Amino acid sequence: MTRPIELLEDAPGKKILLLGNEAIARGVVEGGVRLVAVYPGTPSSEIGNNLTAIATRIPNFYFEFSTNEKVAMEVAGAAAVAGVRSMIACKGPGLNVAADPFFSLAYLGVRAGMVMVVADDPSMWSSQNENDSRYYALMANMPMIEPSDPIEAKSMLLDAYDISEKLELPVLFRTTTRVNHSRAPVELGPIRDRPAKVEFIKDPFRFVPIPFVAYGRHAWLLDQMRKARKISEQTPLNSSAGNGELGLLTSGIAYNYTVEAISELKLEAEILKLGMTHPVPDEKISAFLRRHGRVAILEELEPFLETQARRIAQMNNIDVEILGKEQGYFPRTYEYTPRIVITGLSHILNRNTPINWQEIDSKLRELPDIPPRPPLLCPGCPHRATYYAIRVATRGKAIYPSDIGCYTLSIAPPLETADILFDMGSSITTACGIAQVTDQDVVASIGDSTFFASALPGIVNAVYNRHPINVVVLDNRTTAMTGHQPHPGTGLTGMQEKVTPLDIADVCKGLGVNYVRMVKPFDSLADLVSEIREMVQWTRENREPAVLISREPCALLAAIERQQEGVAPRPYRVNPDLCNACKRCLHRLSCPAIYFDSDTGKAVIDDTLCNECGTCTSVCPQGAIDQER
Amino acid sequence: MTRIIRNTTNVVNVAITGVGGQGVLTLAELLAKAATFDGHNVRVGEIHGMAQRGGHVLCTVRIGDGAMGPIIDPGMAHLLVGFEPIETLREIQLIAPDGCVLMSSHILTPVAVSMGQAEYPSHDAIVDAMGKFTTRIVEFNAVELADKAGSPNSLNMVMFGAAVGTGLIPVSQDSALDSIRNAIPGKLQEINTAAFNLGLVQLKELL
Repeated sequence: MTRPIELLEDAPGKKILLLGNEAIARGVVEGGVRLVAVYPGTPSSEIGNNLTAIATRIPNFYFEFSTNEKVAMEVAGAAAVAGVRSMIACKGPGLNVAADPFFSLAYLGVRAGMVMVVADDPSMWSSQNENDSRYYALMANMPMIEPSDPIEAKSMLLDAYDISEKLELPVLFRTTTRVNHSRAPVELGPIRDRPAKVEFIKDPFRFVPIPFVAYGRHAWLLDQMRKARKISEQTPLNSSAGNGELGLLTSGIAYNYTVEAISELKLEAEILKLGMTHPVPDEKISAFLRRHGRVAILEELEPFLETQARRIAQMNNIDVEILGKEQGYFPRTYEYTPRIVITGLSHILNRNTPINWQEIDSKLRELPDIPPRPPLLCPGCPHRATYYAIRVATRGKAIYPSDIGCYTLSIAPPLETADILFDMGSSITTACGIAQVTDQDVVASIGDSTFFASALPGIVNAVYNRHPINVVVLDNRTTAMTGHQPHPGTGLTGMQEKVTPLDIADVCKGLGVNYVRMVKPFDSLADLVSEIREMVQWTRENREPAVLISREPCALLAAIERQQEGVAPRPYRVNPDLCNACKRCLHRLSCPAIYFDSDTGKAVIDDTLCNECGTCTSVCPQGAIDQER
Repeated sequence: MTRIIRNTTNVVNVAITGVGGQGVLTLAELLAKAATFDGHNVRVGEIHGMAQRGGHVLCTVRIGDGAMGPIIDPGMAHLLVGFEPIETLREIQLIAPDGCVLMSSHILTPVAVSMGQAEYPSHDAIVDAMGKFTTRIVEFNAVELADKAGSPNSLNMVMFGAAVGTGLIPVSQDSALDSIRNAIPGKLQEINTAAFNLGLVQLKELL
C-alpha cells in the first residue's frame, strides 16, 4: 500500500516503511540502474509491480516484464555487457529457468554493475520447492550477497553494484520470503543519474565464449574470485559483534532470530554475521573459529555456511566444535523462527527453553477440529467454469496435466483437474509423455502468461512429433497469481505502453496446430462442455494436438473494472422457494460465495463475495439461482 | 471483563488473522505506519501469493526497539486480532498467557463446511478452547459496525479502532487516523475513519 510514487522521493535521510521488495525497487532508483528485466514470481513479484508503476517517471530508465526468466537474464546481461547498470529479479525456481545464461555471464563478466535478485521461498508459501539458490553462486563462481531485512535489501543492493563493478562480474543477490515480504522503516538515500545511451564496444574474444575463449575465461573467473575473497575479508558486510564462549555464525533472516534468541536466553555470545556469503571470508571465519571452542551455525535450508566452516576448520587444523544441521541441532526444512533458533541453542547449552512451548503444543492438540480454509479459486473465477466443464465432458476420467498459476488450485475437490506438474510449461510436455504410453485421454491446462513464458517449444514438439493431446488455454488476460502483471497477450508493456497483443490462437495456428478453437466460459456452460467433448473426440480420431482457448478476464480485474465504471453490483441469489437443498451447487463448484444456511436449510449466496459469473445458474437443477435486477 | 494493562516489555507483538480478502494485510501496514508516526521501530510480516486466494491469512506487527525479525512465536503475542472466529482459533497458540484476543464474531463459512465435509465448531466450543490460552477475550460483531460505517469492506478499520481501543499498543488515535487518511483517498476515507471510530468506541464500552 506504500504508493509506488513514494519510491521516487528525492529526500535523503527520510525514513519510510517499506516492504523488502519495495526497498529493492527503491535501491534501483538510488543506484542509477538503467535497465531491469523480470518475470513475476512470488516472493519477488512486488519488485516488478513497483518498478512498472514508476518506470516512465525515472529519466533514462527501461523496465520490462520479460517473457520468462531466461529471457530476462539475457536482456539484462547484455545491457550490463554494453556498459549500463542492470538487474534481473525472479523467484528461486526462476533462476533454474535462467541457469544457462547465468553460467555464461560468470565467464564473460560485465562492463557495468549487474545484480541478479533471486528470492528463495523456505516453507514453500508459494513455490513448488524450497531449493537453496546459494549453491548457484558456488557452482558458477559468482559473488553473492544476502540481506537480512528490508533495510539491508536497499543498502546492500547498492553495495552489490559496487562489488559487481570492482570485479566486472554479476552479483547474485539472494533473498528469502521473510526478507521480501517484511516491512521495516528504510532510510532514503541520494538518487544517482543514469546515462541516456552508451556505445557498445566490440570485444568478441571476450563476449563470445567459443571453446578457445571460454578456456581462458575460466581461469580469469577463478582469478576474479580470489579478488572477491579479499573484498569478502574486508567488507563491513561481514562483521562480528558481542563477546562470549559461544560463537554464532549466521546470515540472512536467521541473523535476526539469532539476535532475538541471545536476548531471550540472556546469552553471552559472539555473532559473526555474513552479508557477503560467496566467497566467504576464509581468514575472518578461521580467526572466529579459533576464538571459540564451540560455534553454532544458523542459516535456513541447506548447510551452506556450515560446510564452509567445516572446510575452513579442516584446512586450518582448528580444534573447534561446529554445531549445526549435520548433527540435527537445526532443521534443513522450512523457514526458521526465533523458536527454532532458541530451541536449538537451548539444546546445545543443555537448558530449558525460556518459554514452555511443549505446554502450548499440548494445549493445541486439545483444540476442537478446525475446518480447513485453503486458498481457492475466487468467486467468479472463469477457471471454475472451465474446469467444471472439463470434468463433466471427460467424466473425470481423462488425465489432467496442470501448470503453474492460480489454476493449479483446481487440484482441490470437487474440480480435481490437476494430476501432474513439474514446472512452468510442463502441462504440454507431460501430456505428450502420457499420451504416448497410455490409451487415456489427456487434457492439459495452462494459463495465458505461462503459455507465453514456456509453452511454445512444447507445442512445437506436440505438433511435429504428433502427440494426441488436448490443450485448454485458460486465458484470463493477465498474470493473475503473482498480482496481475501484463504479458505478451495483454497489449501492455512494462513501460506502460499500449502495443499490439499476440493472439494465442494465431500463435498456435502459426506453430502448425490444426485444431484451434476459442470459447467464452461464461457464455453457456452446456456449449463449453460440448466444445471440450468435440475436441477430445477430434484428437482421438486425428491423433495430433488440439487447442481450445477459454477466454474471460480474471474475476478480480472484472470486479475492479465494474467498480471504476460505477456499475452497481448485481450479485446472483438463490430463490429459497425454489431451492430444494440438493446442494449440487455446493458440491460441484465449491464457490466461496455460496454457503448452506443450516437455519433455513437452503443454499445462500453471500452478495458481498459474489463476482457475478453466473456459472451456478447452469449447475442448479431447480433453476433457483437468478441475478438481481 | 478484566482490565487491560499496558504492556511494559520493549516489543509489543500484534498478530492479525482472517480470511484472504478481508483486509488483514492493509490493517497490518496501517498499524505499523501509525506506530512509526509515534516514533517507534516496527517490523511487519506478511504472506502473499497463494494465501490471498480466500485462504487463511496471518500478518504480524512488532513494535519496539527490540523488534528485528517479523515472526511472532507461540505464546508471544500481546494482542491477537481475529477477523473471523475459526481463523482466530487457528492462531490462538500465538497468544501470551496474559495476552488479549480481539475477535469479530461474524462467521465466514469455509467451503469444506458448505460441502458437508467438515463441521463449523460451536461458538461455545471456540470460546472455551481459547479460554485455555488466555482469559482476556473481547468479542463483538465487527461486520455489523462496518456496515454501519457505510461498507462491509471497512471491517479492517473497525478492528483497527478496536485494537487501538485496547490500550495495549503504543499507537495514538491521532497517528492511527493519520495513517488511514494517508492511505485511503476521497469518499472512502470518511467511511474508513467512521469505521475506526466505531471500533474504538465499541472497545471502550466493552472494557
